[in-house]
Amino acid sequence: MATKNPIEDPMIDPRTGEYAVIAPGHNFKSVTQKIAGIVLTSNTPLGWFFGLLVGGGVATFLVIGCTWLFLKGVGIWGVTIPGAWGFAIINFVWWIGIGHAGTLISAILLLFKQTWRNSINRFAEAMTIFAVVCAGTFPLIHVGRPWLAYWLFPYPNTMNMWPQFRSPLAWDVFAVSTYATISIVFWYVGMIPDFGTMRDRATLPLAKYVYGMLSLGWRGSTRHWIRYESASLLLAGLSTPLVLSVHTVISFDFAVASLPGWHTTIFPPYFVAGAVYSGFAMVITLAIPIRKFYHLEDLVTLRHLDNMAKVMLATGSIVAYGYGMEVFMAWYSASHWEFFMMWNRMFGPMGWGYWILILTNIAIPLTTLWSRKLRVNVGYLFFLSFVINTGMWFERFVIVVTSLYRDFLPSSWGTYRATKWDYMIYVGTMGLFTFLFFLFVRFLPMIPMSEIRMMLPQTKVKRGGPEAETVIEETA
Amino acid sequence: MKTTGINRTGTDDAMADMKLDAAQPVTAQAQVVTQIAPAKLTLAEVRAKLDGQTGRRFWKNLDELADKPEFQELMREEFPRQSGAGEWVDAVSRRGFLKVMGASLAMAGLAGCTKQPDEPIYPYVKQPEDLVLGKPMYFATAYPFPTGAIPVLVKSDAFRPIKIEGNPDHPMAKGKSDAYTQATLLEMYDPDRSQHVTYRGENVAWARFQSAFATAAKQTGDGKGIYFLSETITSPTLAVQWQQLQKAYPAAKLVQWEPVNQDSSRAASKAAFGSYTDAQYKLEEADVILSLDADFLSGIAHPGFLTLAAGYAERHRYEEGKTPNRLYVIESMPTVTGFKAEHRLALKPSAIAAFAQALASGSSPVGATAEEQKFFAALSADLKKSGGKCVVIPGEQASPAVHAAAYSLNAQLGNVGKTVVYTETVNPLPSDQTADLKSLVSDIYAGKVQWLVMLGVNPLYSAPMDLEFRAAFDKVPVTVHLGTHVDETGSLSTWHINKAHYLEMWSDARAYDGTLTIIQPMIDPLYGGKSAHDVFQALLENPQASAYDVVQANAKNYIKGDFAAGWRKALHDGWVEGTAFSPKTGGGAPSAGSFPAPSSTGGLEISFKPDPSLYDGRFANVGWLQELPKQVTNLSWDNAALMSLATMEAQKLEENDPVEIELNGRKVVAPALMVPGHADGVVTIHLGLGRRVEVGRVGAGVGFNAYLLRTTGGLLSSSGAKLTKQPGTYDLCVTKVHSIEHRGKLAQSDLNKPELDTEGTFSLPGHEAEERGVIRYATVEEAKKTPGFAHEGSPLRETPEHETSFFPDAWNYKKTDPSSLKIQNAWGMSIDLNSCIGCNACIVSCYAENNIPVVGREQVKIGRNMQWLRIDTYFEGDLHAPKAHFQPMACQHCENAGCEQVCPVGATVHTPEGLNTMVYNRCVGTRYCSNNCPYKVRRFNFLLYSDYETESLKFMRNPDVSVRSRGVMEKCSYCVQRIESAKITADKENREVRDGDVVTACQQACPTGAIVFGNINDKDSKVAKRKAEERNYQVLADLNFRPRTSYTAGVINPNPELA
Repeated sequence: MATKNPIEDPMIDPRTGEYAVIAPGHNFKSVTQKIAGIVLTSNTPLGWFFGLLVGGGVATFLVIGCTWLFLKGVGIWGVTIPGAWGFAIINFVWWIGIGHAGTLISAILLLFKQTWRNSINRFAEAMTIFAVVCAGTFPLIHVGRPWLAYWLFPYPNTMNMWPQFRSPLAWDVFAVSTYATISIVFWYVGMIPDFGTMRDRATLPLAKYVYGMLSLGWRGSTRHWIRYESASLLLAGLSTPLVLSVHTVISFDFAVASLPGWHTTIFPPYFVAGAVYSGFAMVITLAIPIRKFYHLEDLVTLRHLDNMAKVMLATGSIVAYGYGMEVFMAWYSASHWEFFMMWNRMFGPMGWGYWILILTNIAIPLTTLWSRKLRVNVGYLFFLSFVINTGMWFERFVIVVTSLYRDFLPSSWGTYRATKWDYMIYVGTMGLFTFLFFLFVRFLPMIPMSEIRMMLPQTKVKRGGPEAETVIEETA
Repeated sequence: MKTTGINRTGTDDAMADMKLDAAQPVTAQAQVVTQIAPAKLTLAEVRAKLDGQTGRRFWKNLDELADKPEFQELMREEFPRQSGAGEWVDAVSRRGFLKVMGASLAMAGLAGCTKQPDEPIYPYVKQPEDLVLGKPMYFATAYPFPTGAIPVLVKSDAFRPIKIEGNPDHPMAKGKSDAYTQATLLEMYDPDRSQHVTYRGENVAWARFQSAFATAAKQTGDGKGIYFLSETITSPTLAVQWQQLQKAYPAAKLVQWEPVNQDSSRAASKAAFGSYTDAQYKLEEADVILSLDADFLSGIAHPGFLTLAAGYAERHRYEEGKTPNRLYVIESMPTVTGFKAEHRLALKPSAIAAFAQALASGSSPVGATAEEQKFFAALSADLKKSGGKCVVIPGEQASPAVHAAAYSLNAQLGNVGKTVVYTETVNPLPSDQTADLKSLVSDIYAGKVQWLVMLGVNPLYSAPMDLEFRAAFDKVPVTVHLGTHVDETGSLSTWHINKAHYLEMWSDARAYDGTLTIIQPMIDPLYGGKSAHDVFQALLENPQASAYDVVQANAKNYIKGDFAAGWRKALHDGWVEGTAFSPKTGGGAPSAGSFPAPSSTGGLEISFKPDPSLYDGRFANVGWLQELPKQVTNLSWDNAALMSLATMEAQKLEENDPVEIELNGRKVVAPALMVPGHADGVVTIHLGLGRRVEVGRVGAGVGFNAYLLRTTGGLLSSSGAKLTKQPGTYDLCVTKVHSIEHRGKLAQSDLNKPELDTEGTFSLPGHEAEERGVIRYATVEEAKKTPGFAHEGSPLRETPEHETSFFPDAWNYKKTDPSSLKIQNAWGMSIDLNSCIGCNACIVSCYAENNIPVVGREQVKIGRNMQWLRIDTYFEGDLHAPKAHFQPMACQHCENAGCEQVCPVGATVHTPEGLNTMVYNRCVGTRYCSNNCPYKVRRFNFLLYSDYETESLKFMRNPDVSVRSRGVMEKCSYCVQRIESAKITADKENREVRDGDVVTACQQACPTGAIVFGNINDKDSKVAKRKAEERNYQVLADLNFRPRTSYTAGVINPNPELA
């Protein structure tokens, strides 16, 4: 559908000249049928079973890995002294970062009235939640005594002990748990009108019952809508600072330490930008196969992909600036420690990690994303999304490992080698993520019907007028 | 003198009482059992009866139901008679029989074959008078080592020895200690020790051996055919017993043999003085010291280590108006002694002898390089200049020619009687061990040997290969092995007798200075072990006399005055007054040329050295020593073919390459490792590894066996070796720079492209250490000119001013406690890098004190070794002739501790006295603290490293220190348990803790007093005084962590001519 000449683009509304988000020819009914049909059909595609099986199969690695981990201890991993943090922390930061796109889409873009987000926000939010689930696993299992991990939470206890609030890890607990809570609530609240639709359209008694319970008695009355809209706005307002704060707090895990390579003030903005960068890459990774498989090209259009690629270009540039500043400050600070760290990071025994990072995070994406042709090239974007997420994983690898393995005293320098258990658990979380995502696309409406319907030209005839509301109520 | 004997008495009484009480019910029960009548009713009948009931019949419980005599009778039966499963009275089915047999076998297995130690679990009925539970007691004894006894003070908790310290009352030891002695504690509790006397593999009673041996000896009449092959005899009492035995059986023979022996010095002294003689050096008197391959700072492998190290350090201490001594070392394999030296010359073993002879004769060495000539000239001039105030020390593993040259040099320089005195030997029966062993083997082949009684030796492992000892061994009709393990020899001997550890037995021994110590047991032998005293006594008049009787009887010869009082005093003090040797006077004029220098047939030389950690292999099953990073190389759980970079290049090898070493047709495969400063053209291999599975769970299969190359002709070194690279790589376990491949590559690239490195070949870690101000030192001239040299140069060297830091001035503790006006405690440590000799004693002491687990080779290899304290070795300068610096590194107890701030659960916190403490119970194991520790001194239990299973190890643990489980961070605590104990004592006496009350385990073990600990608020304390010195500096000071441990910069005294 990509065209050279935007004038002939069928996506442009000939009446308003606006660039439509959704392909023409849809009405309320067709949208509802399309989206609800995926869930309410009795013919589950075989491919879905296959995907679920693969995801679930890979997720068993996580189960096996964690079982052995709990039996033996974190020594089954490659962590050691001086590299006391390894894959677990890298993966934690990576997953949390991926989650950020969902929140950004659902909260910040909502506040900025970026209506194009409506097509992708539901599964982006789902992605956030599943990514947080995967991320949240790591801090719990990476501690030496996971059965005592609850000590990181402030709870009244006979020991009269609180967490030690000066530690960034204690802040992490609050940041991540708040983030998970708000994300789940926001996701659920956003789905309530759709649950109403599903309840009404479901034929199976069980489905009717479950969707009925989930819809919380949604009748689509004006009062409901008013409350729904203000709840969404409020939650968006609550989530917006979280987009910035969660990864800022996570960057404090490093920035607060005195280790060269960690001890730097640029971390918060550059972590947030990196998070959004990797998050959008993940949304693209998910959106492209889904729209293909479920024939949703009309609802998740090239414009969405183009917009997401633009966001990646912007955040990627911030990340590149961050890398540049790190190198600059290593020189400008005149600090021996910083200088050696940077030299070692680039040319030391693990320098290869740094150059993979530069290649995948900067060299490939930031040179190609300027081209609109490539931005709307589905195949290329799909490939690029993997490149960027590899790069973002290596970014955390470089930060965690290459800072730790050679720090102050040359006598305590070491190296880091991941074990098969490290890889197994990492791959296992990917399986878990896939597994959860497949469940999600099968049982929940993956695109918000109510919001898509509002983007249809029909709603815009008399925006805010009584007819529009009537129309909405009818279809609901 | 209280041993568990007292403990036993109390408990046995109580047990007897209990038995009496228990007796009554037992018999009553027996009556019941016998009176069971055959049941009149079966269960089936009861059921039938109940079935027949009509109407409702409720029964509340079985009592009611059983209210019938028949049923009661039925219940009295153990097994109700049911159809098909009646009692096994008559027809025993095959399955039933097997079941019973299986069960009884299992029960028999549980009970064991011998009497298990009594394990009473009730408290003392009569508590021993001087035992206060929880309060340790200290007993003096000595560790009999072949080079001289090490006087020790053993800390005993509830009569279990839990820590070995130097004996502070001893005139020689002065409380100092060393790595081996510290580790003998674990040696005693080794779970793999042999536990029984066995005859052809079967457990038998000791008495059976006694009678068999005595009968056999009587049959020979004069003892013909009875040969003893003993480790070096250290005990004067044992020597007396031998003399008695010889009187009774004049034809019996005694051969002493140690794989690492003192034959060189024995041979040289016999030639020089006409009799075997030991030399004692007084380093505190010497301005210039020349070591000819003498590694006198590494440990007790060198005789008199404690005295020599203390004397060296005393004179090496830099103070105003005092010039430190100057040490020259000529050696092939770099040792800690060599790296402490101001000037070190690396030579092949054959060249060392030639060099020494040249020095003695005054002629310049033949074929020496310009560099060696310069060294020679400067050294001889310096020695001559300080005649009478210098000393020449030959190494025990150097050739007799070196010893002869040293005798001659010391005589020429007028040192005899001043810095060196000659005395009779520490060992009561000195001999030429290699010659004796050779004649023993030829006697075996001649069929003369009927009984070969091996006392504490393991010749099948360590005998020179050319003797073919294994073949000879098989020719002996009866072999007896007294050993702590059923080792290579023990497993093949006719008789094996489990040997008592020195902490379990009575004996005596002489220290380096000749002072006698009575060795007293700290505990009843764990497995009823026997000593050589018992074996000798078996042939003597009164075979039942215990070692105690024998030692006490012999003590009457040297304890003067009232014997009972003298004996008590000797045991209490740990030494007998007036037994030190007096110097020998006279003696022949030693000549340097009496021994030829070992000829070199050209080609590669192989030098055999005892392992710095495992000695001759006797400590192979001691985990602490296996895991201890070896001096200089930092190898752990491994030995290697150690060579210089140039040798490695010439042989086209790289580090970690497996190399086949071929020497006179004998081959062994060893991994190659480069050692900076190693002499070219020689490969050093360490003995004592490559033990077979018999040695136990720790030492089996670790490293390669260097004995396989050793022959009587080349016990110390051999030439003509050939190296062949083998395919593959062997990943050596080196603790210091774990990424060893980087180090090797770097060194190689420096060598290959010298033009890239304009300042000589630097090893990066050493270079970085200098840049980072980790190691600071100066020469005497520089130090005189700039006393504050430690604080000049790099901006990384200073703690930021308080004004420039956001941190509050929280480290400024109140100097006095406002309520009591006592001085507030602020603990701190100071380590003098001038004195630290890198001997590792502190690390092993820390192991014992703090219950540190051993993690094993694979874990060490990836950097998970658990030692709280490590000796960092930094090399400086040319890789071929580097300098090295040793720096003990443990938790620095920072005021602004990074670890404390980042722990999310507050598991590491600061005490009001300035300790950075770990709360193990609170730790969840995020390991953030370790990441934020710039010194990387925190150690994490990545797996369950502590042994919670092995019974014997439980006795060894220090009850005042937690045994850490998996998932917990740990680190140096400044021995907080010792601090608290000192505070409690001070509190009870209503006083402040005085300086010297708290001695940390590392400080206590340190033979040179490099470590000082105390209250830095107390201006008169030693530590405060040290910290006030200008040379005092903090490592990584610029980070503003404000460590409580500081270091005193070293000052060396190089010869200006060689500078």
